[in-house]
Amino acid sequence: MTSNNIEYLDCDVIVVGSGGTGSQAVQAAAEEGLKVIVISKDPMSSSDTKICEGVITVREAGDNTDTEEVLSENIKLAGADLPDKNITVAFANDSKDAYDRLRVNGLRPSINKEKNKPKTLAIAMGGHNKSRSVGHKNSGVAFGHTNWDTIIKYKNVEYFEDCWFLEVVKEEIEGNKGKDIKVLGGIVYDAARGKILFINAPSVVIASGGLSSLYFPKTDTMRGNTGDSYALGIKAGADLLDMEQIQFLPFCLASPPSYEGLLAGEPSTASFLGVLRDKNNKVILDSVYLRTRAECSEAIMRAVEDGRGSPNGGAFLDMTKNISAPKSGKYFMKYLKSALPSAYNNARQALGKEAGKAEIPWEVRPSAHYSMGGIRVDEYTRVIHSAENQYEPIIIKGLFAAGQAMGGLFGANRLGSTSLTELAVFGYRAGKSAAKNANQSVKNKNYDIFHKHYFNFKNLFNKKGKLKPYKLKLDLQKKCWDNIGPARTEKKLKKMLTYLEKIEKDLNNVNVPKEMIWNQQFLDLIELKNMITTAKAIAIASLKREKSVGGHVRLDKKTSSLFSKPYSTLVKINKNNAFEAFKLLRQKTPLKRIINYKISEKFRFMKAKILRILPESISDKIIENKYKNILGTDQITIKPGSLDGAPGDKVNQI
Amino acid sequence: MEEKYLNIKIKLKRNNEIKLIEYKYKKRTYDERPMALDVLLQAQEEQYDDLAFRYGCRARNCGVCTIDVNSRPKLACRARVREGDILSAIVTLPVIKDLVVKRDGITRQMKGYNNIPKKNDLNEDADKLYHNLTACIECYACLDGCPVHAKNNIADIKKNDAYKYGNPYSFLKIQRLLIDPLTPDSEKHKLIDKAKRLGLEIYRREYNSFKIKCGVGINLKDEVIKPLLDAAYGDEIEKQNK
Repeated sequence: MTSNNIEYLDCDVIVVGSGGTGSQAVQAAAEEGLKVIVISKDPMSSSDTKICEGVITVREAGDNTDTEEVLSENIKLAGADLPDKNITVAFANDSKDAYDRLRVNGLRPSINKEKNKPKTLAIAMGGHNKSRSVGHKNSGVAFGHTNWDTIIKYKNVEYFEDCWFLEVVKEEIEGNKGKDIKVLGGIVYDAARGKILFINAPSVVIASGGLSSLYFPKTDTMRGNTGDSYALGIKAGADLLDMEQIQFLPFCLASPPSYEGLLAGEPSTASFLGVLRDKNNKVILDSVYLRTRAECSEAIMRAVEDGRGSPNGGAFLDMTKNISAPKSGKYFMKYLKSALPSAYNNARQALGKEAGKAEIPWEVRPSAHYSMGGIRVDEYTRVIHSAENQYEPIIIKGLFAAGQAMGGLFGANRLGSTSLTELAVFGYRAGKSAAKNANQSVKNKNYDIFHKHYFNFKNLFNKKGKLKPYKLKLDLQKKCWDNIGPARTEKKLKKMLTYLEKIEKDLNNVNVPKEMIWNQQFLDLIELKNMITTAKAIAIASLKREKSVGGHVRLDKKTSSLFSKPYSTLVKINKNNAFEAFKLLRQKTPLKRIINYKISEKFRFMKAKILRILPESISDKIIENKYKNILGTDQITIKPGSLDGAPGDKVNQI
Repeated sequence: MEEKYLNIKIKLKRNNEIKLIEYKYKKRTYDERPMALDVLLQAQEEQYDDLAFRYGCRARNCGVCTIDVNSRPKLACRARVREGDILSAIVTLPVIKDLVVKRDGITRQMKGYNNIPKKNDLNEDADKLYHNLTACIECYACLDGCPVHAKNNIADIKKNDAYKYGNPYSFLKIQRLLIDPLTPDSEKHKLIDKAKRLGLEIYRREYNSFKIKCGVGINLKDEVIKPLLDAAYGDEIEKQNK
């Protein structure tokens, strides 16, 4: 490879990622008149935001009692006290303005003319203590257009797609508390043009999404979620928070292959009489509609673990009792079809007509959906590293992270419709912080340090080993599912770490050609490396989280008690260049509030139990009335990932 | 008894050389009717680890996996394949490698098109037609058969150039902004000028002879091109008729 292949660029702000978060960061920085470069490995704005359900949390969309304190506390409680209060407050403060910015850029909700506000969903979304979720026609695709239009708008924004951001270039400088880290820019592989880009920039925003492809094909998200954000972050010196907290949706498809991983339903889909069964037809979970996603996933994965799983490693969601009930049966179909239309369509297309009528059980299996943990940032999205003491955070100068890339907002559980607000609030904050930093920085003109950084990547072209990066990637994905997936044990987590050591050694023996135009093996190798780094962080964080909490399910340990002190896990690369995990104690919500939550939970399960004990003729009648109540409203929509989809999450998250 | 295999041809393109390979797709169940994407994924796993193709959501939402199946643009994730089918890159954009095409010449031609002042009141309902247009997933299936896009020289993949002539997607973007309730009337002529600069007139000349198909079923001729032509040339047509 010759230096002809290197292109030297400079700008004020680099934004890595062109989805919801990236486009908001672009706007914030471009408005300041700065030169912005956007780097995207997928086509512009083809991100998780584009394929999501398009429901967003907007404070006060319902009524004016929805104060900033109310929303902020709601998020913190839902996250089992793991969220950082400064960040949940920022979320609540900015949510209205953030939404209006998207509207200026072309997002058009339906308007409630009486209130002169966007219409909220007919039923307040589960888990939210106020009605504040606004849906959109064409779901995420409408957001996709908005994001695209935002990036395209400014003359001072340059855009590169088919480009893989390889590394944050940084230098160490003397600071007040020892060595500080300062960002100088980034190195990019432009696969379409066969070039390496050295981009000099004082500010870099990491907005490159999540990690769910670690579990491919057991995921309902975009292919590109290979943990790039977290790998870029931790390698630049950042702390990673709560990496064990991954949201799995329990009822996703296990077959046929073309539909594998896609959403089939939520706990609420099971309705009043739906149960989960193992392959021997034994009920493994009842009252499914009241359960949390984690409880459902746990029941399925325990059955699989004991050899009682379904043919494709899941269990059976049996809703036949709902349909066969004499009076309420006819309402069930209407409920099933209208509650989660896109998920229902997936299930009917994938599993066939009989399944579509719920006459036979559905084979279901959990899928990875969202990473609640991520790069440790402050409320201005400035990335933090803790050199000596995790309670003395130090800012990495010039590095910012937002959206799914960041941690500290959701902790152990995410309320439905909040991730779109997260990206709009913190994407924009990141762009503003990055602009401010760029304005205060003296520009670096020297590319020597880039050459030094690039040396490691240069050697990855033209490797004459025997192993195929793509094959290694597939193997890693399988191991991630088995060992750091929706059901974990200490033994599995340790096994994973041993495996990761092995696969890291395998990287020395891969085969990569030297070609520069779209070198597929090189791309796979880069993503594989990011996946390995991320998987390691998840495994190490999981070992530090000794009990089941939220998205982290330990089969060998009990669920965290409500009396225990909440803590976040923190993973960083230590002085010896090894990954190390710490606990970061969090402030606990007053016990009285937690107990209120617990009491309401018990009450709900008692009601469900009574429904099962009553003679069918009576329970059927009660259920019929319940359906009439739900279906009587003009529209019911339950969005995947929302707490409406799993009403149990609402009360069982502490 | 169903066959256990499907023979599918995949057209590779590397360093300006074209090679047709035959891949024997192993059905995973006897009654499997795989999508084109399933074939590509299996081919990559079993035989061609360097096979280049795009995909994203696997559920017809993200619009990045468009390829030609027997010379017709299809979303690979939802296009069922049959014995003997040929999979290749779409022909309307330059091929980078195998099935991957360079798409950003279209993005670049739209730079700044929407940088116009907006009305202040955000609480205005958009028309149904507006939402019909935001159903577009940008799959670029509509480039096939478009007489305007056909005027472009296929771009050099080594350069990040913008296309001169438009296509149904770029015109959809303009039409969407024209019917956006937040776009003031005083700004609309700028959008129409942009459409004219992208070669809208070609549609006017060839309106009855070209056929385009939308990947997600938007009526592009009636809801995008016709209203744009009316807005741009309506007066002239009226004059002619008089």
